[in-house]
Amino acid sequence: AAMAGVARRLLCRGLSVAAGPPSTRQLREAEEAAPVFQYAGKAARRKDRVFVWGFSYSGALGVPSFVRPDAGWKKPRRIQPTPYRLETDEKISSAACGYGFTLLASNTKDITKVWGMGLNKDSQLGFQRTRRDQTKGYEYVLEPSPIPLPLEKPQQTRVLQVSCGRAHSLVLTDSEGVFTMGNNSYGQCGRKVVEDEIYSGSHLIHQLKEFDSRVVQVVCGQDHSLFRTKKGTVYACGWGADGQTGLGHYNITSVPTKLGGDIAGVNIIQVSSYGDCCLAVSDEGDVFGWGNSEYLQLASVTETTQVNVPRHLPFKIGKVKEAACGGTGNIVLTEEGNVFVWGYGILGKGPNLTESAVPEMIPPSLFGWSDFSPDVRVAHVRCGLSQFAALTNRGELFVWGKNLRGCLGTGRMEDQYFPWRVTVPGEVVDVACGVDHMVSMVRSFT
Amino acid sequence: LNAAPGRAPRQRVRFLPTPAPGGGGALELVAARVPVLADHPLVRGPRFRKLKIGAGHRLDVKASGVFVLGIGHGNKLLTDLYNCHLPKVYIVGGLFGKATDDFSDTGNLVEKTTFDHITREKLDRILAVIQGTNQKALLMYSNIDMKTQEAYELAVKGLIRPMGKSPPIITAVRCLQFALPEFQLEIHCLHETQQYLRKMVHEIGLELKSSAVCTQVRRIRDGVFTVDDALPRTQWNLQSIREAIQNCQLKVETELEKTLG
Repeated sequence: AAMAGVARRLLCRGLSVAAGPPSTRQLREAEEAAPVFQYAGKAARRKDRVFVWGFSYSGALGVPSFVRPDAGWKKPRRIQPTPYRLETDEKISSAACGYGFTLLASNTKDITKVWGMGLNKDSQLGFQRTRRDQTKGYEYVLEPSPIPLPLEKPQQTRVLQVSCGRAHSLVLTDSEGVFTMGNNSYGQCGRKVVEDEIYSGSHLIHQLKEFDSRVVQVVCGQDHSLFRTKKGTVYACGWGADGQTGLGHYNITSVPTKLGGDIAGVNIIQVSSYGDCCLAVSDEGDVFGWGNSEYLQLASVTETTQVNVPRHLPFKIGKVKEAACGGTGNIVLTEEGNVFVWGYGILGKGPNLTESAVPEMIPPSLFGWSDFSPDVRVAHVRCGLSQFAALTNRGELFVWGKNLRGCLGTGRMEDQYFPWRVTVPGEVVDVACGVDHMVSMVRSFT
Repeated sequence: LNAAPGRAPRQRVRFLPTPAPGGGGALELVAARVPVLADHPLVRGPRFRKLKIGAGHRLDVKASGVFVLGIGHGNKLLTDLYNCHLPKVYIVGGLFGKATDDFSDTGNLVEKTTFDHITREKLDRILAVIQGTNQKALLMYSNIDMKTQEAYELAVKGLIRPMGKSPPIITAVRCLQFALPEFQLEIHCLHETQQYLRKMVHEIGLELKSSAVCTQVRRIRDGVFTVDDALPRTQWNLQSIREAIQNCQLKVETELEKTLG
C-alpha cells in the first residue's frame, strides 16, 4: 500500500499539469508556434480571363450547357444577365462580337490562333466539320472551336485583331494580310460576288494582301468592311446603299478601294463602324464621318440622310482620341478624358435626351470621378448596336443603352439611361459589344 | 448649472392696499409691479433636477473617436440628424498576416499567412473595386426609379443616397499609410457598425490572398461634427460644453435645412 502511494505521488508530480484558462504568455507562445500558410508567393502573376454575358441560345457565349444542359437538373439558360467566366485554352488578346456569333483570337505562335462560336449559317466562323458527317458543317457552334486559317507560315504569323459584322468576319495577321470569311453577297469579303453562292458549309476563306502598306486595323460594319493601313489610308468594300463604303457612289464594291473625300491625305489613326455609319479619327484629333445619317449622326454637316464621301465633322469638343459607332448613336472620347455622345436612342443622359445632332458630354461624375478620387478617367469607349460601353483607367466597365436580351450585364432586364457599373471580378482590359451579347477581357486583381 | 443666475422672476401688476397719504385708517388701492411669489427660488427649488442626455450613432467598446450627445432640446435635433443619413468618416488601422475570430487583434488566432506579395498597387485596386460595388449599392438602395430624368440628375450630382434603412454602404475608401505588415485606411460610410468595418478589413486580407486583422477604428467625423469640434476627456466641464454647443449650432441648422428642407 505504501509503494502504491509513493508511485501515485510520483506520477502526479511528473505527468499532470495544472489546468485553467491560458495565460497571456501561453497565448503568445501558441501564436508564435502556429504554422504560417502561404496562398500566393512573391512571383504570383495576375491571370487573364474572359467573361461573357447576354443571349446564349445562338451559342455566341460559348457555354454549351446553357443551350444543351449536360445534367438532368440543369435548365437551359436563355440569357446570362451577369458576367460569366469562359474557360479558354490560351490568353485571348482580341475579341469581336458579331450579330449572334463571337470570335476570340490569341497572339500566340501556335497553330490554333482563332476560335469562333455562335451562328455559322454563312460560314462566318469558317468550316466547322461535324462529327457524324465529314462533309457537312455545323450551323450553330456552341463551344469556342478553332478556325482553320490557310496560313503560309502557321507557326510564325501572329493574329493581331479580329472583327465581326452581320454575317462575315475579318482576321488581321501581322505578315499575311487580312483573311475574310462568311457572307459575300455584297462583296464585303473583298472578293467578286458569285451569283447564287451557297455560303453555308463553305470552305472558302479569302486572303487580301493588296494594300498600299501593312493593314493595322480591320473593322466590320453590318454588310461592309473597312481596312486602315499603317500609312493612315482607309480602304472599304461591301454594301454601299447608305454610302457606308464612302467611295462616292451607292453601289456594291467587291474589291477594297481607297477612300477619298475629306480624309484624302489625312493620317487616320482609328476607324470604327458597326451598323451603317462610319467614323474615322485623325492623328490631329479631327473626326470624319460617312454612311447612314438617318439618325442625325452626320446632321451637323448635311441634311441628307446618306453621305457617301467622308466629311469632316466640325465639333468643338477638343482633340478626339477614340471614336465608336453604333447602329443609331455615336460616341467619342477626347484627350482630356471626356465622353461625348450624339445620334438617336438611349444616349446616356437620362430618358429625356433621345436624339441630338451635336455631341453632348456625359458628366465624369457618372464614371466614378469625384473630389475624393479626381484622377479617374475614361480610357476607352466601345459601341454595340444600341448599347455603349466605357472603360475607365481603374479597370471599371460602365454600360448604358438598350438592354436587349440582357446584353448590358447589369443583372436586370431594363434599359439603362445613364452609365451603370458592371460588377466584374477583375480589372477589365477590353470589351467587345455585339447586338445581344458582350465579351470582356479581364485581368484578375492579384 | 444650478449655480448660474437663473431667469428673473415674472412680474405682475397687483393692486395693493396702502394707507392713504392723508391720515386716518382709510386704505387706497395702488397699482404696483411685484414679483410673482411662485417664481421665488425658495418656492420653486433648483432649476435643473435632472438632464435628458441622448446619444447619437453608436461607438463600440474597442473603437474610439467622435461621439455625438444631445442635451435637452438637442435630442430632437439628434433625431433629425439621424434622418439626414449623413456619411461618417473612420480611420481604420489593419495588420496583415493574421486572422482572428472577431476580426480584431485581441481575438483568438485562426490562421497566420504570408504577406510579402502584397503591394500598395494591389491594395489600391481592391479598394477601387470596393468603392465601385458600394457605389452601385448606393444607387440601388436609394429607392429611386432609375428610368426617370431626376434619377439621372441626382446621380450626376452625387446626391443619391439611401434615405431609409439599408445595409452598410461605403461611399469612399482611401489608403493613407502602407508599411507592411501595417496599413491605414480612411473610410467614408453610411449605416455601418464598427464590427462591419473590422470584417471589411478581414475581407480585404482574404482578397489579397493573405489575411488581415483590424487594430484600430477611430471615427473622425460624424455628419457635421469633426474631431476639432469634439471635447477630449480633460474638457468635460460646463464651460467647454456650452461653447461647443454654441459653435455647432449654426452648422447643424444649415445642414438640417439643406437636407430636410
